[in-house]
Amino acid sequence: MHATAALRIVRRGLATAAAHPPHAAAASAASTTTVSAASAIPLSNVEAQWASLSSSEQATVHQQLEELQQKDWKTLSHAEKKAAYYVAFGPHGPRTPVSPPGTTVKVVAGVGVLIGTAGLIYGGIRSVAPPPPKTITKEWEEAANERAKELKINPITGISSDGYSGKGFVTHK
Amino acid sequence: MRTQVVSTLLRSRPVLASRVAPRLARSSSSAHHQETFESFTERYVTFFQSAEDLFEVQRGLNNCFAHDLVPAPAVVESALRASRRVNDFATAVRIFEGIKEKVENKAQYQAYLDELKPVREELGIDTKEELFSS
Repeated sequence: MHATAALRIVRRGLATAAAHPPHAAAASAASTTTVSAASAIPLSNVEAQWASLSSSEQATVHQQLEELQQKDWKTLSHAEKKAAYYVAFGPHGPRTPVSPPGTTVKVVAGVGVLIGTAGLIYGGIRSVAPPPPKTITKEWEEAANERAKELKINPITGISSDGYSGKGFVTHK
Repeated sequence: MRTQVVSTLLRSRPVLASRVAPRLARSSSSAHHQETFESFTERYVTFFQSAEDLFEVQRGLNNCFAHDLVPAPAVVESALRASRRVNDFATAVRIFEGIKEKVENKAQYQAYLDELKPVREELGIDTKEELFSS
């Protein structure tokens, strides 16, 4: 029973080895290089390079930190403590901030630019617009009132009625 | 044979007690057990003292900080010692971050820091501000 199982495993191993011989060799070579490179990862600057590390390198850093944290924490250096905190709870992975830093400034500046542009367009159009009609002046409106009284316009409740206290046609202050 | 007869007789006998409508053991909403702050503190102190791995410690912290209260310094201290026991410095720093979130103002946070200063110095725990200020 055991022998057949072992045989099957061996056979599968042989089969996979036969199927991808160059691949396997490359993979093993790559793993050795990453291990040698990973063992040299300095913990002093993990925050800066964390995103660029490969997953195997990150795993190596995890292992390094795990061993470090077993020591007395008072003997850890500031950089090691920072690295330990950053790797565990830093703003990466699920804790990546939704908007990158500086977004607020960008949004405020963008809205300001848009409002300014709108103001410029408004001012530009107003500057080339014709003057308001001559009837929209206080003098014209008062004259219109006089003319209305002369013609006895709206004599029951309106401008020509007795004791009228309204402004009539005058809209200017 | 005889026992069978006895049991069938017993089963066929009208049960008087169950005819009465059963009274509810407790009324609906107001009967919840209200845990006092002291028993909460005691519960979590013992929890963190017996927590064995990082997952357990972090699960306890999650539960402990999910209530509408700031955990007592005794709870925090036992949580810090638990994170020391499971060798996770980051969790210890995170506990202080959690306290900072939970307290109402900076003075309360400072009070917690002062209260827990001996433990912090004993275990060598820095707060996040101390770690990332320089």
